[in-house]
Amino acid sequence: MPPINDPDKLREHSALLGLLILFLFATPLTLWWATPTHPWFLPYLLWLLVIFLGAVISYRYRGHDL
Amino acid sequence: MTYDLELLFGASICYLLLLFFIAYATDSGIIPERLIKHPLVYILSLGVYATSWSFYGSVGFAEREGFQFLTIYLGVTFAFLLTPLLLKPILHITRDYQLTSLADLFAFRYRSQLAGILVTIFMLVGSLPYIALQIRAVSESLQVLTQEATPNAIALWFCIMLILFAVLFGARHISPREKHMGLVAAIAFESAVKLIAILAVGGFAIFGVFSGPGDLARWLSENPEATEALYKPMHDGPWLTLMFLAFAASFLLPRQFHMAFTENLSPRFMDSASWGFPLFLLLINLAIPPILWAGQYLNLGIDPDYYVLGIVITEKPSWLPIMTFIGGVSAASAMVIVTTLALSSMCLNHLLLPASYPDPKVDLYRWLLWGRRLLITIIIFAGYGFYQLLERNQGLVQLGLISFVAVAQFVPGIVGVLFWRRATKLGFIVGLLGGVAAWSVTLLIPLLERSGFISTGIDLPALRHISGLDYWEFATFWSLAINGLLFVMVSLLSTQSKGEQDAALACRSGAPGQLSGVVTASSPEQFMDGLAGIIGKETANKEVAQALRDLKMSPQETRSSELRRLRERIERNLSGLVGPHMAHMIINQRLEMDSAAKTALADSMHYVEQQLSKSRSRLRGLAADLDNMRRYHQQILLDLPLGVCAIEADHSVVIWNLALETMSGVPSHQAVGRDIKSLPSPWDGLLTGFALAQDSHIHHMEITLDGRPRWFNLHKATVLDQDQKQMETGSRTSLVMLLEDLTDLEILEAELAHSDRLASIGRLAAGVAHEIGNPVTGIHSLAQNLREEQDQEQISQSIEAILQQTRRISNIVKSLMNFSRSGDIGTDHHEFILAEIIEEAVRLVQLTHKSNQIEWQVDCPADLSLVGDKQRLSQVLVNLLTNACDASGAKNSIEIIAKKQDAEVIIEIIDHGKGIPSDVQEFMFEPFFTTKAPGEGTGLGLSMAHKIIQEHNGKIIFDSEPDVGTRVEIHLPQTSDQA
Repeated sequence: MPPINDPDKLREHSALLGLLILFLFATPLTLWWATPTHPWFLPYLLWLLVIFLGAVISYRYRGHDL
Repeated sequence: MTYDLELLFGASICYLLLLFFIAYATDSGIIPERLIKHPLVYILSLGVYATSWSFYGSVGFAEREGFQFLTIYLGVTFAFLLTPLLLKPILHITRDYQLTSLADLFAFRYRSQLAGILVTIFMLVGSLPYIALQIRAVSESLQVLTQEATPNAIALWFCIMLILFAVLFGARHISPREKHMGLVAAIAFESAVKLIAILAVGGFAIFGVFSGPGDLARWLSENPEATEALYKPMHDGPWLTLMFLAFAASFLLPRQFHMAFTENLSPRFMDSASWGFPLFLLLINLAIPPILWAGQYLNLGIDPDYYVLGIVITEKPSWLPIMTFIGGVSAASAMVIVTTLALSSMCLNHLLLPASYPDPKVDLYRWLLWGRRLLITIIIFAGYGFYQLLERNQGLVQLGLISFVAVAQFVPGIVGVLFWRRATKLGFIVGLLGGVAAWSVTLLIPLLERSGFISTGIDLPALRHISGLDYWEFATFWSLAINGLLFVMVSLLSTQSKGEQDAALACRSGAPGQLSGVVTASSPEQFMDGLAGIIGKETANKEVAQALRDLKMSPQETRSSELRRLRERIERNLSGLVGPHMAHMIINQRLEMDSAAKTALADSMHYVEQQLSKSRSRLRGLAADLDNMRRYHQQILLDLPLGVCAIEADHSVVIWNLALETMSGVPSHQAVGRDIKSLPSPWDGLLTGFALAQDSHIHHMEITLDGRPRWFNLHKATVLDQDQKQMETGSRTSLVMLLEDLTDLEILEAELAHSDRLASIGRLAAGVAHEIGNPVTGIHSLAQNLREEQDQEQISQSIEAILQQTRRISNIVKSLMNFSRSGDIGTDHHEFILAEIIEEAVRLVQLTHKSNQIEWQVDCPADLSLVGDKQRLSQVLVNLLTNACDASGAKNSIEIIAKKQDAEVIIEIIDHGKGIPSDVQEFMFEPFFTTKAPGEGTGLGLSMAHKIIQEHNGKIIFDSEPDVGTRVEIHLPQTSDQA
């Protein structure tokens, strides 16, 4: 994939990812995953998902001149 | 089993020596630089965030607060995923303005020494419990392994080793602005060690304590309360507060700021760290729940903070406990070293320097270096003192969180740096004082009370109960609420100084405010002299030389725009040395600006260009379109094949385009900003003369460049300054000059003229041959007679006749050679007798038109002289006379009249031939236009004649009537100046 050099979009996507992490970890959604019925490592999987998305964004926008 | 204190102490000393070696090997180049300059090393160096709190304390935290321990890392993840919005702008400010700490950043943004002092003191107070925590963690981990009380001397030796390391590798360079790659490598290594150690302990918990993941899962299903205990505190704990605190701490803690910004080797590394560092934290925390459950399974009966060590102690000796212990030492030592370095830099710039600035005779670099080393020692010992005084029952996490709440007090200030330009110095200081007061009341005083130092009688638990907030929520909310409210209100009620406005703008857009004034010093040497009075002669010389090197500027530079850049650069460099406020003061005091002087247009343009190139990516909509248009117009100007030079009213160059660079050999960066009088010769004289000249156009100006003649057409136009201010005080004019290089055209025309002459010679050849043939026949006959002749008198007469004939031949050949000679273009001007060239031209033309029996009438005063290029004017006459002969019929007459009229010489050529048709007259001066048959004319004759007369500042007039004849008038100034 060719790198994208669009600082605006990079900022937008970073902000969206920030909102996602807030949504997953700082809203009542925590009540859903924070129950013993789920595997104990579920919070880590959610965390890993956010990191993965962060890595994808960083890779796609590796050509930015911010 | 238990371990010997000596063994563990020895292991930790060996480990610290290994760190010394890594740092030394990096600094001395044994470890290649390319390995250190890798994003992974940067990510690992940020791992300094994970201290003994993370290494040991997280398990205890998880035991008490369940999954809330993750908030301390999720907050960091949030901050790092916002890198483009949050961390990158801070990185750019710190790099651009050489700011080495948070105190520097605030002192720069709010243009206040007091802000720097307050931040430093507060950071110092807030960090000491954290340093104490690390010392305590090492001491207590020894206690867990040896099962006996740790002697105080161990903690002291640990501190001494850290001081040595920090002094040798963290304060290695004279200037704190230089990067410490050895330190970065060592801290990255420490992070790798603690990550491997904690993963090894986690692996041991699953495979050593339990028999694998299946056994762990079975145990968890048999003991559901173990997993419930992880989730339950989440629902009523300070989850959001802790996430926020971790978010703030991730870049505001001194050690984080130091590794993320001050020691950052490349801004690109931060992109990798935006996801790489959260991944590191995830891995380090993955092992925490299994370790907790293993500790619970083994029912260790020790403080859960030390389960990490407890579960690996087995009956048999093993390397794992020692490795785990080393991991803990790693976590603690990295934190203490980096925090101390960051704090020492702040204390130096904001406490020590303002309090006791060294005498200029003292070597400033050495003073700063030793001052920093002394401060490192004091800070680590202060941490040790705090460790000695603290009550022992305080959990590791509690001590750490006190520091987290402390650094969270800088969040409003950061908002002012990155987002809110209106924030003022007063608002920041008052807000910070309010926040610090609330922090002290809610966290610090209770800590000191519990340690038995003071007793205040404030019933905080009751207040918390009324508010319904948790311990950390209560402290965080009130301290930040008071801080934030005061910050906003006081900012809105107070006004910003000009310096603050400039700094705020610089933080938001990366550029300081509008330029005004010029530097009073007029050369880099004067900069050195100016600075020497306050930072010492040697330091001043080095700093100016460094700035010149940074800017790739010549020490002989005198242009005001360049000197202004130099001043700015020196201030930035000094900022990295003595802090932004002190640097600003020194520069303002020693390198004064003449604010009354008008900023040169070249300065302003250069400045605007620079700022636009920096912030181009931030332009949107109409502004972006305008910028694109501006760049398009600029490109047109630059790429124009004509030389373009714009100058101000004071004759300083504003624009010098690429074509002019090529023509003159003077690069744009050397010409712009300079007075045209100081340009290299001959451009100084040429441009100055033309700028002052009345004429707007000069044609065919000849100059000598590198010993060779070159020709230019020059044009100029006045550009009126439309600025409103200018209109009020009388308009200021600048000039734009265009230079058209004619040299190639001139050479081409010279070649054409020569071709034309050769063509004429070709046409003359038959006549010449015939003309030479007659005397040769005569000579032949005379020579034959001479063989028989005995009479001396007859012989003498024959010889005289032969000589006469040879003179005749010689004259013909000489005329031909004169005509055909390819002279130098345009440089051969001198005085000559006009009658001579008329006679010669007639003789040449007669050779080819003898059969017509033209009657030639020449009327030219014998003494009439003319200044010009004799050979080229002769060519004009030959061309015109040839045309006259061609147009004339047999026995027609051609008159040539030359006379002087005022300062002019007029030559008239009148024929009575067929004349020039009116439809041809408008094209007759165009090259290659001819009415003659192919092979009889080149079509260059009249165009060359016209051009040559123009070059002599003359004119040529044709008056022709078909079937009546043609009259050609040539007007030439008698003492012609070359055009």
